[in-house]
Amino acid sequence: MDDDLPTDFQVIVVGTGMVESIVAAACSRIGKNVLHLDSSDHYGGLWASYNFDGLQKFIKEVSEDPKRQEQVYNLSEKWYIEKDVSEEAEENKTDADPAKKIWSQTKFAAEYRKFNIDMTPKLLFSRGPLVELLISSNIARYAEFRCVTRVLTWLDDRLMPVPCSRADVFATDSVSILEKRQLMKMLTAIVGNTEEEMEQEFKDWNDKPFKDYLTHKGLTPNLIHYVLFAIAGGTDKMNCRDGVKESKKFLMSLGRYGNTPFLWPMYGSGELPQCFCRLCAVFGGVYCLNRPIDKVEHKVVDEGKSIVVIESKSKTLNCDHLVIGINECPKEMISPEPTESTDISKAVFVTNASIMPSEKEPLTLLRFPSLDGTDHAVTVLEVGPATGSCPKGLFVVYLITSKVTDAENDLMPYAQRIFDMNADQSETTEKPKCLWSVFYNVRDTSAPVASLVDNVHVCSGPDSGLDFDRAVEQAEQIFKKICPGEEFLPRAPDPEEIVFEDDAAPGPDFERTLEDEEEQKPEE
Amino acid sequence: MAKTYDYLFKLLLIGDSGVGKTSILFRFSEDAFNISFISTIGIDFKIRTIDLDGKKVKLQIWDTAGQERFRTITTAYYRGSMGIMLVYDVTNEKSFENIKNWIRNIEENASADVEKMILGNKCDLDSKRQVSKERGEQLAVEYQIKFVETSAKDSLNVEYAFYTLARDIKAKMEKKQEASNPPGARGGTHQLKSNDQQRKPPSWLSRCSIL
Repeated sequence: MDDDLPTDFQVIVVGTGMVESIVAAACSRIGKNVLHLDSSDHYGGLWASYNFDGLQKFIKEVSEDPKRQEQVYNLSEKWYIEKDVSEEAEENKTDADPAKKIWSQTKFAAEYRKFNIDMTPKLLFSRGPLVELLISSNIARYAEFRCVTRVLTWLDDRLMPVPCSRADVFATDSVSILEKRQLMKMLTAIVGNTEEEMEQEFKDWNDKPFKDYLTHKGLTPNLIHYVLFAIAGGTDKMNCRDGVKESKKFLMSLGRYGNTPFLWPMYGSGELPQCFCRLCAVFGGVYCLNRPIDKVEHKVVDEGKSIVVIESKSKTLNCDHLVIGINECPKEMISPEPTESTDISKAVFVTNASIMPSEKEPLTLLRFPSLDGTDHAVTVLEVGPATGSCPKGLFVVYLITSKVTDAENDLMPYAQRIFDMNADQSETTEKPKCLWSVFYNVRDTSAPVASLVDNVHVCSGPDSGLDFDRAVEQAEQIFKKICPGEEFLPRAPDPEEIVFEDDAAPGPDFERTLEDEEEQKPEE
Repeated sequence: MAKTYDYLFKLLLIGDSGVGKTSILFRFSEDAFNISFISTIGIDFKIRTIDLDGKKVKLQIWDTAGQERFRTITTAYYRGSMGIMLVYDVTNEKSFENIKNWIRNIEENASADVEKMILGNKCDLDSKRQVSKERGEQLAVEYQIKFVETSAKDSLNVEYAFYTLARDIKAKMEKKQEASNPPGARGGTHQLKSNDQQRKPPSWLSRCSIL
């Protein structure tokens, strides 16, 4: 069947990670002839989501394939529950809430399809570049999102909700009236000021710690904690310039979709690269998975034109531009060598309750300040069944930080604070029980790298940031190199805007189109 | 905004390349059949609102965008689909044999209770036929799925197929609602839109006017 594959393309994209997929969509959208390949049998590469079965395959692959271990290492998977549940245990719990079933490994396996576990879980800022791009390009119609319902922090040895909207600030009883006024003043200053005012306010502070600025402004330790760790997502060392920038980004995204500035993609972050792939395909892009690359060569053909030639499954493919994920790219083509950087420590937990129960199913971002006074905060994301991430009665929790020793050592102390790691499911405890976990390190390949060849464009791997902003930015840069002067992902028409020859009645006027567009979104 | 329909169903067309999925889509949505449409790019899905027992049912029918060619349909394509038309070409044995693979693919990726129907398309090309109607019926019985032979070219059974699938989905849905299952179990999700009122200049302070 692969034999039908044409051999000449304007653009070949290798790898279906986020950056590669956005570039593929952008090129195809403006009429470039695009082939998009991936060496594995699924979309997303290190940005993928897996169901429980797929995840088991991934774990097996990582533990057996040395090539895989160049990207993912120190992987350790652990069960905290029995293989099967004894009948006795089943009987003992009949009176309990039916959602609180006694889980076993067999029951996980039986519901494997209901899991969508992300390798690179990320949030979107409601007014961030990815949301704007999804809307302006009309790719938003391929995805659905849920709002993050709360932002938590770890303060005085317990989980605390962070008041982030004005309403929160007034509703919370964890800060005094005086503090409320202080906090409002601070946040308003960060958001409301003009460039000049900002310049004036921060000119002596830019490179000094944000924390010192907040202290200087007379904020109480609690408020400093909220602003520095939860809103700015910083650490003690964060400088004032970054602190203000990050706080502003957070605050500017409030009030668009929910009570927090964040959105989470239904079925996981791994859906998003696929949305861009779909658009690429709709505009004629050809897709082929399971297609490893054996060789990449740069050639100058007769007229002095430079092309890239790829060998794949004993087939030769030619293109004017090659866009390739860093993990697929031959090392000798990369220049300069990526600089030594800090790898990422990650963990995924499946639990039987939320880290902080609430009336409605929560979707949580917890920014955990460093427990040992180092410069490494931990990002925690907790998603539940309503996001399509797991079966009813369970939660999936992601922990992410910079690597110090290895994933398990780096993250276990944090996990122990929020989970009960000795799961006897029959007893009730304050903290949710951890039923399953996996720890792993990912090599940081997020630094932008260039290639030795002008028409080979290397895409970075996932970064440890909270959002997709760097991926979007890089994709746009690569697109502009390939297609200078062209528009980056102009709005794709809605189906009814495309008029066919025997249907040449006057089209709807502009106003009408907008209304119709609203009407015909695939809403649920 | 007032809804102009009672139900919205997301339907998918699945099957090998060249079996006529796009033609079926155009026959049903535009009542047109034109070879030049086939290579038309930029088509995601088509919409047609039909009347079923006095209810307005809006059908949003998604095409594969050619991603079926090398078996690379995205898992995202299947999300939220309520009905799937499995299409083969009666003049192409291979496309018929592949129906089983497509069913496996659906089982892996679509919701467990998605309604399915098998269509044997191009039944106007009787002289080139490789798959008998009986074999199609037999396969349908094996999977307990409804079956009909269609011709997008002659406009045969295309309407019938979509009405049948839509009616089955509607019946299932109403049965579920009667069983007092909250219909909006998947509520609370956002489809990002360009013309939402939040488009006005963002201000942290504006939050207070909303609340």
